[in-house]
Amino acid sequence: MTISQPVKRQLWTILGFALAVLALSGVLHNDYYQLVLTQVLLWAVLSLAWNILCGYSGYFSFGHAVFWGLGAYTVALGMLHLNLTPWITIPLCAVVGGLAGALIGFPTFRLRGHYFALAMLAYPLATLYVFQWLGYQEIPLPMKRKAPGLYMQFSDPRVYVGLALGLLVVSLLISLKVENSRFGMSLFAIKQNEPAAEAAGINTWRWKMLALMLSGALAAVAGGLYAVVLLVVTPEAVFGMLVSAQALILALFGGVGSLWGPVIGAFALVPLAEVLNAQLGNVLPGIQGVVYGVAIIAIILCAPEGVYWRVRDRWGRSPVQAAPPAPSAMIAALPRARREPVGDDLLVLKDVSIAFGGLRALEGVDLAVPERGLYGIIGPNGAGKTTLFNVINGFLAPERGTISFAGRSLVGLRPSQVCALGIGRTFQVVRAFPRMTVLENVIVGAFVGASDDAAARQMAEVALDRVGLSGRANALAGRLTTRELRLMELARALAPQPRLMLLDETLAGLGHDDLDGILGVIRQLPADGVTVLIIEHTMQAMVQLVDHFSVLDHGRLIASGAPEAVVRNHEVIEAYLGKKWAEQVTEAAK
Amino acid sequence: MTEKLTRRTVTRGLALTAGALAMPAIGRAQGKSVKIAMIVPLSGPWARQGQLLRMGAEILQDDVNKAGGIKALGGAKLEIIYADAGDSTEKAKNAAQRLLSDQPDLAGGTGCWLSSFTLAVTEVTERASLPWVTLSYSDAITDRGFKFVFQTSPTAARQAAETLPTAMKLAKSATGKEPKTVGIIMDNTASPVSFAKPLRAGGLDKLGLKLVVDEIYTPPLSDATPLIEKVRSNRPDFLLLLTSAMPDCKLVLEKLDEFKLSHGKVPLVGNGAPLGSPELLKTIGPELLDGLLFSVANWPFKGQEAFIKRFIKKTGEPFLTQDGLCGYGQPAILVAAIEAAKSADRIKVAAAIRAMDLTTGQAAQCFPGPIKFDEKGRRVDVPMIFAQWQKGVPLTVYPTELALAKPFWPTA
Amino acid sequence: MPFSLVDFLQALSAGILVGGAYALMCIGLGIIFGAMRVINFAQGDFMMLGMYAAFYLTTAAGLSAFFGPSAGPIVAAFLAGPIVFAFGWVLHRFIVSRVTGAGAAQTEGAGAYGQIIVTLGISLILQNGGLIVFGSTPIGIRTPLSRSSWEIGDVLLNQGRCVSFVVAAGLATAVYLFLGHTRQGKGLRAAADNSQAALYMGIDVDKAHRIAWSLGVGITAVAGGLIAGVQSFQPYIGFDFVIVMYAGVVLGGLGSILGAFWGGLVIGIVQQMSTLVLPYQLQNTAIFVVFLLIIFLRPQGMFGRLSERT
Repeated sequence: MTISQPVKRQLWTILGFALAVLALSGVLHNDYYQLVLTQVLLWAVLSLAWNILCGYSGYFSFGHAVFWGLGAYTVALGMLHLNLTPWITIPLCAVVGGLAGALIGFPTFRLRGHYFALAMLAYPLATLYVFQWLGYQEIPLPMKRKAPGLYMQFSDPRVYVGLALGLLVVSLLISLKVENSRFGMSLFAIKQNEPAAEAAGINTWRWKMLALMLSGALAAVAGGLYAVVLLVVTPEAVFGMLVSAQALILALFGGVGSLWGPVIGAFALVPLAEVLNAQLGNVLPGIQGVVYGVAIIAIILCAPEGVYWRVRDRWGRSPVQAAPPAPSAMIAALPRARREPVGDDLLVLKDVSIAFGGLRALEGVDLAVPERGLYGIIGPNGAGKTTLFNVINGFLAPERGTISFAGRSLVGLRPSQVCALGIGRTFQVVRAFPRMTVLENVIVGAFVGASDDAAARQMAEVALDRVGLSGRANALAGRLTTRELRLMELARALAPQPRLMLLDETLAGLGHDDLDGILGVIRQLPADGVTVLIIEHTMQAMVQLVDHFSVLDHGRLIASGAPEAVVRNHEVIEAYLGKKWAEQVTEAAK
Repeated sequence: MTEKLTRRTVTRGLALTAGALAMPAIGRAQGKSVKIAMIVPLSGPWARQGQLLRMGAEILQDDVNKAGGIKALGGAKLEIIYADAGDSTEKAKNAAQRLLSDQPDLAGGTGCWLSSFTLAVTEVTERASLPWVTLSYSDAITDRGFKFVFQTSPTAARQAAETLPTAMKLAKSATGKEPKTVGIIMDNTASPVSFAKPLRAGGLDKLGLKLVVDEIYTPPLSDATPLIEKVRSNRPDFLLLLTSAMPDCKLVLEKLDEFKLSHGKVPLVGNGAPLGSPELLKTIGPELLDGLLFSVANWPFKGQEAFIKRFIKKTGEPFLTQDGLCGYGQPAILVAAIEAAKSADRIKVAAAIRAMDLTTGQAAQCFPGPIKFDEKGRRVDVPMIFAQWQKGVPLTVYPTELALAKPFWPTA
Repeated sequence: MPFSLVDFLQALSAGILVGGAYALMCIGLGIIFGAMRVINFAQGDFMMLGMYAAFYLTTAAGLSAFFGPSAGPIVAAFLAGPIVFAFGWVLHRFIVSRVTGAGAAQTEGAGAYGQIIVTLGISLILQNGGLIVFGSTPIGIRTPLSRSSWEIGDVLLNQGRCVSFVVAAGLATAVYLFLGHTRQGKGLRAAADNSQAALYMGIDVDKAHRIAWSLGVGITAVAGGLIAGVQSFQPYIGFDFVIVMYAGVVLGGLGSILGAFWGGLVIGIVQQMSTLVLPYQLQNTAIFVVFLLIIFLRPQGMFGRLSERT
């Protein structure tokens, strides 16, 4: 495997950082400074662990103390009851933390946003009370006068610095690996737009669970080492709000979602708090908290996204440089399907119905889309078009009716599974991942059809080539024009080489010139073997584009047939222009 | 100087100091101070207790220095160095490590009130062979086989063993019959938990007491209704109240009153200093507290009257409590040890504490019983002190020779 | 059955009465969250300010002497509201508004990061500043109500808690009507629903947020003032309540005032009634278990709206 340039640079940075910390530890001839340095490193690990879930996937946790605490108690109770050395129990913490992550994630990932964040708050606090109830108010780690090293009890504090540093380096390497793999990119996609990620075939559930388990495992290991350093474990000290808050303050302060943010946060804030305690705590008790509070507010007002991002935006290079794009001629053309006449029905809906709180969004919809057809659905706003797509690709489950794709039922499948079967989709409002490059956006879409990351990259490049966007491969998605965004979304849906594409108002909001380019791309799709189902609310473009037409109104299909026939249909005109108009048109026709 | 000393209640200490004066001051140069650490929570939820301890310690430092400093070291000044243990064990431990690093010539230390903080801090001080005197009474502190930790309070187990028989004796002498049933209401912090453990494990049976209410809550209490409802429906002959926070005491006492169980209907016996705090008096008034009897590791007793007056005058506190008293007494033990060792070397100071058997002097004045430690670092022959609220002041009522007032058993 | 009917009724009534004050706190937090989508970690500390405000109004400002020891603390609790409202206004004007507002109101925008740090920072400043200003000694407002009760059969209802429940319910109703029926209130709700759209409709979103923030902390301060008549407190007490508040608000449904009220009440009831069947120590664990159960069964909370996911 080759290591890309930016990753190499990061590896050197990590090495340099580790050496710097070792040098610092060597220079400090003061046990107190060594102790604080150890704590800085441990809190950095917790914050990095937090960052793996919360920074990359955007799922905030206010309860990472639960992992930290379980780790600390694993070590303390293991030593107290079973006389187990931390050399065994600390690695075991990874298992405990991972399992806890799985147990917590399983129910909690039903929730999103603030609900998820606040639900996470409940776990450490509920656990705290349980540990008190069990009688584990104060667990001192027994002092081992014989063979202290065997029990990780060293008289030289530099050994703890070394252990904590080792753990931090491992955490940094894990984070780096995550960032530069399918794992991290999937999390990143989830953070920016979870439904889009799911529709692009990413099994969001699986990645989120993995992230929480990994995050929990790292946090628990750090908590275990913390117990060895502190030597006394109490429920408040390891499950308390202060721990959860520390994880998040350090990362938010340093820069969420970055490799170095949590480390910066820990190296800035932990010593700051300590210095304030030392200098002011006995002079005017309380003032240290006030100064600390003022300091973090002042800094965050200057750098709302965290120090790392602020510094990078001001002095840094442009965001992650991807390798120069391969010229499109060098990419082997995909075997394209032979041009064939319209085939058998690929997608069949029968009697599909769904309601939202009494409002019937879809009512008895029957639809049959032939293979390699270019099939359009129009309808006024609120007719249920997007709902229809949501039902097909699994965002919503129909209350009634069947949906089959190439003979397979889609009802009950997750969007990512639907995508994996070969159904791609775009969105009415483009759901791009704005902080990723165009190529990365498309790679995310290609994962579902690719065996490995390299294949995904190649498929993405092919797809970009197909829509004519190769030249913009390294631009940030957030900087694209509307037309380019639509094309990028098309490419993302095309990348895994789907059999059916669901296009949701792809043409909306485009000017005349832009329209032509996109129409050309869409027209080419059936020729390449891709079936297209497109929804629009304006008739004009559709009439030019599709070869079969259905009209949706108030959740029902009211007309179906060749475009020219449908536009003359009385009901259609009524749905679009109102009853009065319909009558006038009929009058005029007479 | 001499005039001041005679005015002091600690004149009995003169014998000792005079002996020390007779010795030539060796080694130490004049002007170099002897340093003792005090690590207590000065901020955070336990700040109040830490600040009381500090008040006591400040008075001691004054007293020692005005009386000519440490005699055995040629009148070296005593300097108590304070550090804030804050609101977490991590901060407490860091404070200890910091003091040890910044002050390599510390002779000893004292603190941290909260037992989990003391546990963490002593892990550091033990490794540095620094003698540490503490009033925290969780058994775990002296169960670790440490050599440099000295606990002035009787352990929880001993407190439990003495509290109930004394209360029952008092009840019998007042009412003519022994109580048969008891209720326990306690929080689940370390001290009450280790206090109640031996009681449940046979301690009550031995006394012939039946446990009819047994409730353990997690502090802080939000409302005491369900707790006291259980007391109301089971009506124990008396109630044992083990709380480590004043706000919970308030809720329980007021709820007892509301449920018509106060004023001797269900007599209260408590354990722990919060039951005697001035702030409790301030929030619920003297009338509801009257008769409340509580055992406590240390409480101002006979012979300290002058010190009590001085403390009140200096700090503006309404009366002296365990924390202020120990704040004065614990550094005093270290001072006595330094005098005895004639050295501020921590190993020698620790040895002096181990060899100590004081019944007189500044330090001994502050604690009931002799200042003598066993091999675990626990004080031996410590009588349990009982105080009782009488007319708005919690006064020591037991042991009789130390009592400032006579006890009574509240009856309805 | 391990408990009698009286035990049951006593615990139930305690739950409802305690829940009343929780409900009011939750409304305060709910208004802020609903309008601004800000997770305010300092909410408990504003409650602490309300407690001290009520304390000093009762004692130093002489309300107790003027209105009597029973009514004085209640009036003081009410007056704590405007005081903390004003304080909140200033704080929003100079600090909070810089990380909130129309641009930052989205759920997981970059603004949310700054908000969390800022409210945590405010919380630290209030707690520790409180220690410096008010001192460490726990205090309480002395009122005869806190130790008297009305008797209904064998069930005793604490007068202090009853009065605070009535006040809380009354104030909650007033807030509910204000939000539903006044121009200010409607503007606030519009800003909450969609700050961008509200901006286009000519609503001053920043001002709406300032009202929401100040109102939210003011209402919570009143709840604090009411509790101060029953419990004693010190500068770090806010933390004990902030968890209860969040559990209540999420339980009721983020953004719903009615939900916040019922959420707070449910928390109170669960907290007190769990003691009938579970060890007293697991009181708060019971809260979290119920909290998790409800949001797993109804992720949008009791009164939250379900929106389509895409």
